[in-house]
Amino acid sequence: MDTALTTLFLGTTRGAVFALVAMGLVLVWRGAGIVNFAQMGQAMFSTYIASSLIISGHGYWFAFATALIAGALLGALVDVAVMRPLTKRSHSGILASESMRATVPVIASLGILGILQSLAGMLWAAEERGFPSPVSDVAVKAFGKTAPFTNFDLFIIIVVLLTLAATTLFFTKTGMGLAMRATALNPEVARLSGIRIGRVRTLSWAISGVASSLAGLLITPSANLSPNTLDLILIVGFTAAVVGGLESLPGSVVGGFILGLLIAVVNVYDAPDDVFLALLIFLLVVLIVKPGGLFGSKRVRNV
Amino acid sequence: MFKYKRTGIRNLAIALIFTVAIIALGAILDPYNQGQLAVVSMLFIGVLSVTLLTGTSGQISLGQGALMAVGGYASALTILNLGLSIWFALVMAIIVSALAGLLLGFAAARLTGPYLAGTTLVLALALPSLAIRFESVLGGDVGLNVDFGNPPAWLVSAFGEIGYEQWQLYATVPLTCLALLATANILSSRTGRMWRAIRDHESAASLMGINVSNNKIFTFVVSSGFAGLSGALYGLRGIVGPSVYPISLSLLLLTGAILGGLRSIAGALIGSALVVFLPDLIEWATRPLALSEQIGNYLPGLIGGVLLHLTVILNPGGIAHALHRHKNK
Repeated sequence: MDTALTTLFLGTTRGAVFALVAMGLVLVWRGAGIVNFAQMGQAMFSTYIASSLIISGHGYWFAFATALIAGALLGALVDVAVMRPLTKRSHSGILASESMRATVPVIASLGILGILQSLAGMLWAAEERGFPSPVSDVAVKAFGKTAPFTNFDLFIIIVVLLTLAATTLFFTKTGMGLAMRATALNPEVARLSGIRIGRVRTLSWAISGVASSLAGLLITPSANLSPNTLDLILIVGFTAAVVGGLESLPGSVVGGFILGLLIAVVNVYDAPDDVFLALLIFLLVVLIVKPGGLFGSKRVRNV
Repeated sequence: MFKYKRTGIRNLAIALIFTVAIIALGAILDPYNQGQLAVVSMLFIGVLSVTLLTGTSGQISLGQGALMAVGGYASALTILNLGLSIWFALVMAIIVSALAGLLLGFAAARLTGPYLAGTTLVLALALPSLAIRFESVLGGDVGLNVDFGNPPAWLVSAFGEIGYEQWQLYATVPLTCLALLATANILSSRTGRMWRAIRDHESAASLMGINVSNNKIFTFVVSSGFAGLSGALYGLRGIVGPSVYPISLSLLLLTGAILGGLRSIAGALIGSALVVFLPDLIEWATRPLALSEQIGNYLPGLIGGVLLHLTVILNPGGIAHALHRHKNK
């Protein structure tokens, strides 16, 4: 019983972080039609910035805020410097065919990942370093019993829930959120009704950058920080986004929690080595049984 | 008919010139560079698998390294458990990885662009866990020890003493030549044209009576066979294990294909030479600057990434395309 409860809590905290990653992926996919494989590279970079600030004597919260801002700027930079020039050329030469238009941005994002990882390696050395958590990492005690989760787990869940609430409010209650939804739905119509879709796209890259940097800050205390550590989180986040349908923000959050539980179960009841095998089987089953994901709409191809 | 024959002869001539050139180069180089050249020939086959899959049929795979591993393990198990020669093992590698490609193709035919990229990436990550799960057969983290063996007596009597690196090169080049020939013929055949039609407009191709999903699966089978051969040769250098086929190997193949030129065989050759020699070249060029080890280690990755970007944005056709355009001006 205790093992089951521990698994449940482990799955929920990890799942909360995966939900953030998946949300970041979905935001860019909806906004720009690109799956950003460099996303966790950006998160790694901003987490390193936070780590350096803490090492040089600044407080945790200052570093935390700086990392989120850096994540937003980095996201916007990727869009303006790489993806915009790419989409501008998308109707000429090798990019003219539909399959290559889907393929080339993937390659470009892998290039960004390589650049960010090499830069991080050059700037901050290759050895792994730890990253502090803002609250104590001991198990919560209540009514004389030890709960199966720590203060930091609670902190993660609260931060993620606040972020989800803020994102929901942003998309439903603000003009900019409405503009983003319109652009995701139909860029052409959105442009005709006066929305500057270029800016809206850059904004979705920036918000995605914040979400993934937040995920980086929340996951690194339980793992070590190195240029490659967050790659595996991206894969899990991608699977979560596909489970949720890649189109739907609530779907990505649900997908994140499902993946968190799946991985916790494999970790606790089987062996950690099998996590990616389980991930592959799960992904294939979802893609074969329900290719549109749990929340996705049916895909229609226009001729 | 006549035209097809001429293309066939031209392809054969190019392949023969390639083989002779590499063998001549192999005779004058030192062992280190012979080894590097052997790796270029091995990876060339792998990059050709990307040329076929991504360049010709428009499907992206980040898991070619995993298929190389399948080929590597198939050949290692054939040698170690069945006691057969490396030539049988290589045939076995092609068959087994093509079968793996068939399975993957069934899933891939339903997926497009980023979905396919993500799924193949997960595949590449999941494979090492298989090696650990079936440790008694696949050797776990350490892997299986295999090698090219000794050069046959007739070769030694014809060429004199042959070093291990030189033998690696000489054993690989004829196979690379066959792969080159096969790719050239596929590209100029009816099959190649069907694949290009699917790449350029799937719905239009389907309306013209091309069976899109069967062709996509077939592309995966052929491409996986190539990757398997490449992986088997790559593993025969010493070890077949998870550390030999990391996720970065898949990305290396893709980078080579893009930098050289995704749509041409010459591009694949340029690209594979580039990814193998670039780190050495950068090391040589920056030696006067006396960079710290930390920067030196990561510089090739940085330059590779920047080159990838410049290629995708400024010259998506790659080096081969740029050379061709220059020639036509």
